Amino acid sequence: MTQTFEFKQSGDLDPALSDPATRKLSAGKLIGRWVNTDPDTRGIAAIVIERNDEHFSVGVRGVGADGLIDWPTTRATALANLEEEAGQRAVALAADFDLGFMRAETYLRVNKGVLVIVLFVTFRDDSGRSNYLNREFFYRRD
Amino acid sequence: MQFAQICDRVNVDAAGPIDIRALPGTWVNSNPDTNGIARIVMSESLGNLSLQIYAIGPDRLIDWGTAAVNVFASTPSSRVAAGFTCVYDFGFVETRLQGMIMKGLLILAQLHSFKDESRRADYFVREYFALTHEQY
Repeated sequence: MTQTFEFKQSGDLDPALSDPATRKLSAGKLIGRWVNTDPDTRGIAAIVIERNDEHFSVGVRGVGADGLIDWPTTRATALANLEEEAGQRAVALAADFDLGFMRAETYLRVNKGVLVIVLFVTFRDDSGRSNYLNREFFYRRD
Repeated sequence: MQFAQICDRVNVDAAGPIDIRALPGTWVNSNPDTNGIARIVMSESLGNLSLQIYAIGPDRLIDWGTAAVNVFASTPSSRVAAGFTCVYDFGFVETRLQGMIMKGLLILAQLHSFKDESRRADYFVREYFALTHEQY
């Protein structure tokens, strides 16, 4: 029996997306505690990624004026990352943080052992700050 | 001023629009063999930015239509565009696009979440685009 899938680009028809093995891609490379490669960062100090059954959660600790600031832990969505990492397919995560006065839309992936987070920050207060994007790098320290 | 990381505590002289001049134009995928997005046409009208996607189909380009764009600077105090986000909801799939400009290159992350019963895995793709120009 031939299945017909809707698509908006040929990539939507990649057979790998229908391969049950893709749904079970190991996220082991993402799980753990990650520390910013820049000890002088004024952004995110550390990230903790955990997995509970099929669900991923991401915790962020920002650098504050007098210590670290815990962002509310958020559930992440796992996405098959069909770009190969060290010859293996991997998982990327999408995680949105809602802190009331600001929202951070992020994605996280591992590239050659480095966790990369890209943030798109939207301010919802009237501070006059520009919405901005940032990228930071982390090494594993379990 | 509230902040969740110290880099967000900045002095803002005067709130104003973000300079989006770096974004409009036709952005072409650096990979001629892509099976994803072939080109992006970004347009400005009355200070608002929108984009139109042309993706690779089995036998021709697929026009995704236009979508409104949220513009982002590189810091909370910058007034110069450095990237954007937008969402296409096609019913069977939702595609979130997150673009970042680095040294004139547009790095586009695509986050595809299927909403149909096809049991396809949601997936992530990152591709690179160059702004076409007449220099050199």
